[in-house]
Amino acid sequence: MKPDQQVPRNALVWIIISLFTLVAPHAERLPLWVLAVYLFAAGWRIMVYQGRWSFPGRLVKTALIVAGFSGIYLSYGSLLGLEPTIALLLTAFALKLVELHRRKDAYVLLFLGYFICITEFLFSQDLLVVLYSLFNVVLVTTALVALHRPGEHQFNRKTIRLASILVLQSLPLMLVLFFLFPRIGPLWTVPIKSHTAKTGVSDFMRPGDISRLGKSDEVAFRVQFDGDIPPQSSLYWRGLVFSRLEEGAWRSLRYYDIPASERRPPPVAIQGEPLGYQVIMAPTQQNWLYSLRYARPVTPGVMSSADYLLFSPTEVEDERLYRVQSWPDAVLDATLSDWRREIDLRLPAGENPRTLALAAQLRARAGDDAELVQAVLEMFSRQAFGYTLEPPLLPSRDQVDAFLFQSRLGFCEHFAAAFVTLMRAAGVPARVVAGYQGGEINPLNRTVIVHQFDAHAWAEVWLEGEGWVRVDPTAAVAPERIEWGLEQAMEGEGSFLSDSPLSPLRYRGIAWLNTLRLRYDALTWRWQSWVVGFDRAEQFRLLNKAFDGISARKFMAVLLASGLLVLGPVAFTLLRKRHQHQLSETDRCYLRFCDRLAGAGVRREPGEPPLVFAARAARELPALAPGIQRISALYVQLTYALEPPADSAALAEFRRAVRQFSPPARAAAGS
Amino acid sequence: MVKGRRSTTGQDFRQRLRQRFRSWVNRRIPPARVVTLDQKRIFIFPSGTGLFFGACLLLMLLVAINYQNNMSYALTFLLATLFIVATLHTYANLSGLTLRAVRAAAVFPGQQSEFVLQLERGDSRERFALHLQWPGSNETLVNLVEEDSAQVHLHLPVGERGWYSPGRLRLESTYPLGLLRCWTWVDLDLCAMVYPRPLASAELPGLASDQPDGAAVPALGSDDFYGFRDYRSGDSLRQIHWKGLARGMAPQSKQYGAYASRSAWLDWEMFPGVGVEQRLSHLCHWALEFEGRGEEYGLHMPGVRIEPGTGERHRDRVLQALALYGVVGRPA
Repeated sequence: MKPDQQVPRNALVWIIISLFTLVAPHAERLPLWVLAVYLFAAGWRIMVYQGRWSFPGRLVKTALIVAGFSGIYLSYGSLLGLEPTIALLLTAFALKLVELHRRKDAYVLLFLGYFICITEFLFSQDLLVVLYSLFNVVLVTTALVALHRPGEHQFNRKTIRLASILVLQSLPLMLVLFFLFPRIGPLWTVPIKSHTAKTGVSDFMRPGDISRLGKSDEVAFRVQFDGDIPPQSSLYWRGLVFSRLEEGAWRSLRYYDIPASERRPPPVAIQGEPLGYQVIMAPTQQNWLYSLRYARPVTPGVMSSADYLLFSPTEVEDERLYRVQSWPDAVLDATLSDWRREIDLRLPAGENPRTLALAAQLRARAGDDAELVQAVLEMFSRQAFGYTLEPPLLPSRDQVDAFLFQSRLGFCEHFAAAFVTLMRAAGVPARVVAGYQGGEINPLNRTVIVHQFDAHAWAEVWLEGEGWVRVDPTAAVAPERIEWGLEQAMEGEGSFLSDSPLSPLRYRGIAWLNTLRLRYDALTWRWQSWVVGFDRAEQFRLLNKAFDGISARKFMAVLLASGLLVLGPVAFTLLRKRHQHQLSETDRCYLRFCDRLAGAGVRREPGEPPLVFAARAARELPALAPGIQRISALYVQLTYALEPPADSAALAEFRRAVRQFSPPARAAAGS
Repeated sequence: MVKGRRSTTGQDFRQRLRQRFRSWVNRRIPPARVVTLDQKRIFIFPSGTGLFFGACLLLMLLVAINYQNNMSYALTFLLATLFIVATLHTYANLSGLTLRAVRAAAVFPGQQSEFVLQLERGDSRERFALHLQWPGSNETLVNLVEEDSAQVHLHLPVGERGWYSPGRLRLESTYPLGLLRCWTWVDLDLCAMVYPRPLASAELPGLASDQPDGAAVPALGSDDFYGFRDYRSGDSLRQIHWKGLARGMAPQSKQYGAYASRSAWLDWEMFPGVGVEQRLSHLCHWALEFEGRGEEYGLHMPGVRIEPGTGERHRDRVLQALALYGVVGRPA
C-alpha cells in the first residue's frame, strides 16, 4: 500500500471514538443487538490492528451484510420507514469499520458519520442534541484531520484542536447561508416515522388511559400569551371531542361519520379582543393540536374542525409552532342541528341500568337542564367520591354503574364519562372533551409549560341559549386539581410522579435546582421558537426587514461580502508570517546593513558568509570598502567570537556603524 | 479511414494542448534552483474525495429540504463552509514552503540517480503530508512538524549520456481534510549527469601514448603491494587500509607497485572508425578498468586533456568529461 493510503493509528482511534459518540443518541431507538454490533466491530478492528485477526473475506462480509438486513427486518417487521432505514445505516456504519483498510474506506465511513449527525436531527432538534451533534462534527473532522497526518502512530489528543478551529471558522458563514438559502417545499415524499410511539392524548378514551398519562413528566407543549396569562383554572386546552361511546371507549367522530353539511365549523359570533398566543408542541405523531376555546388559527396550514378544534392535516412529527386567537366567551353552536343532537344523546342500549334509573330520578327532580347539571355536580362533591391517580380496575360491562355505585374512586376520565352518561340519559346533549388542563408558569419568560401529567378530560353540555357549556366534574370532586394542578391534588396520596424518582419536577422544592430547570426550559422555548419558527414566511419577513426589500443582486452582494468578511480574517491568521526565531539585535542590524547594500546593487547570496560577502561587496563598491569591512568585522566578532565582548559597547559601536553606513542608491552608484 | 484521420487530429490537438499547457506552466513557474511557493505557483482544486463529499452534501441538502428540518440545513451549510475554509488551510499547508535543489548523483545509463532536495518551511506552521514525486520516481511523504526542514531523496531512472533533467517535480498535499488537492509543479533546474554506457573492447587498440614512460599494459600485474602512506583526500576507497583503521590507527592508503611507472593515455584516436557514442563508451570502460586496477590514466579528447592520475576525483573528472562531450546547453 502506498504510504499515503494508510490509516494512521491516531486516525483509527479517533474514528472508533466518533463511531461510538455518533451512535449514542440513536441508542434509545435501536434494537440492542445493533449496539452489540458496534462493540463487535470495534473489537474486530482492534484485533486486526494488533495483527491477531485479519480483515473479513468477501464471504464473511456478504454474510454480515445479509445478517444485518435480516436483523433489521426481524426487529422492525419491515425495511421501509425512517427508523428501519436509519437502523440499517447505523449497522452499515459499524460494519464498515471492520473493513476499514485504506484511506478510501475511511472517507466513506466518516462522510457517513456526518450524515448520521443529520439523521439525529430528524428525531430531535433539541438544543442539547444540537450541541452534542456539533461536538460529533468536530470529532469526525478530527478523525479526518488525523487521517491526513501520516506517521502519527500514537493517539494524539491535540489533533482535535485543528478540527475545532476549522469548525469554529466555518460557523459564521454557515449562519449567513442558513439565513439566505431559500427555503423550498419538500421535493418528494420521504419515509416517515412509522415506528415512533404516538404520545399524548389518543383519539379514544377508556377508563385508566388519562391516569396513565398522569404519570409522565414530559412536556406536551409550551404556550406564550401575547398579554396576561389567564387564571390557571380557565386554562382548558381542548384537543379532542369524544361523541361516540363504542365498546366501552369514548371515541371522536371519524371524518366520514359526519355528514357533508356538518363538516365545516358553524359560524360563531365573536366579540371583544381575542386572546392571542403561540404554541410549540412536542411531536406526538398525531394530528390534533391544542387550543383554548373558541380558537381560530392564525398560522397557515392549521385547520378547524366541526367541533371547534384545531388539527394539522399531517401528523405532528417534529416540534410544531402555531399561533392562535381565542375568544373564551364566544357561544358555540347556538342552535344544535338534529344530527348533532342525535349523536350527542346516543347511548349504547341496555348498558348501565342503575345509572339510567338515577338519571331519570334526577331529571324528575330538576327544573331545567342547568339545574340538572348542578344536581349531578353536587352529588359528586357531597357523596364519598375520591380522586386518585391509581383508580381500581372496572369490569368490562356496565362500567359507569360500577364506578358510581361501587368503587367511587377515579381519575378525571371516570368522572367525565359518568357525567356525560348521566346527562345523555337525562336527555341533555353532552360529550367528553380531552386535552390538558392548567400548566406550569415559567416566571422567567412568562410561558405556560404543559406537561403530560396535566392531561385531563372534562365534559361539555349543550344548554338552550348558551350553546356548549364546559362542565368539569373533577372540579366538584377535587377543586385543588383545577386550581393548583395535579401535584397538589395528589399530595395526600403521594402518587405524583412516583414512578420517575429522577424527574426534576419532583425537586421543585430545591430552589436552585428549580431555577436551573426553568432557565433551561426558557432557553428551550427560545431555541424552539427560533429553530422551528424559521420557515419560508419567517425568512421572507426577516430578510425583507433586514435588507429593505429582497433582490437577487442584493442577495449575491450580501453573500459575497459576508464570505469575504468571514474568510478574510481566517486567511490572514493562517497565512501571516510567523517568524520562528526572534532575531538578535546584532542580526537585525546586520540584515539592515545587507538591505542597504542590496539597495546599492550588491545582494548577499543565501548562505554567503559575511566576510566573503564583505570582500565581494568591497570589490564592487570600492568607495564604501572601509565601512563594509569594518561593519562585517564587527559583526563577525560580535556573533562568532569564542568569548563575545561582555560590555554593550561593542554592540553600540556596531549599531552606530550600521546607522551611519549609507551607500548611494543603485542609480547613483551606476553613474 | 475517416475515423483514423479524426483520431490523429484529435491526438494532434491533445499534443498541442499539452504543449501550450507546458509553456504556460514554464512561464508561470520558471525553472529555478530555489523556489518558494506562493499563490502564483500553487494550484488548488477539489480532489476526488472532495467531489464525493460534495455529492454527500447534496444528499444532506435533499434530506433537509424534504424533511423541512432547519438543523439539517444548518449542518449541511456548516459542512459546506468547512469545505471552503479547508481551501485556505490546504493552501496554507503549501504556501511559504521553499524547495531547494541540493544535488543529483551522477550515474551510468540504466541506473537510478538519487535526486536530493531540501524542503524548508519559512515559518513555524506545522506542515503535514507533503507528497513529492517526479514522474517515474518513487514517492515521498514529508511532515514538517518539529523540524524546519527536511532532505528529500528521490530515485529515478535516468536516460542516455549527458544531462538528465527529471522534468517538473510535483509537490502536492490534501491536508487537512482531503477534500482539496493543492499542488505545484516546480522545475528545480536539477540535472543528473549521465556517464556513457561502459562498453568493453577486446583490448586497448593502438595505444597512443605520447609519454615515454607510458607503456600501459593492462595485463601486467598492477596489484603489487609495496607499502602504506598517510591517507590523502582523494585516495580511492579501495586503497584505504581498512584493517588498520579498524584497529584504531590513523587512516592510511595502500601503495601499489605499478603506480608510478605505468601511466596510460586514453585517447580519442584509439578507436578509429567508431561512432562517437561508442567511442565514449569504450573510453569509459577503460577509464573504469584502469581505476579498478589503481593505475594512472589520462584522457585525451578533442578539446579535453586530463593529465594522468588515479583516485575518485580523477575518475569523476574523466567520466564527467566523457559524459559531457559534445553536450550543449549545460544547465546552470
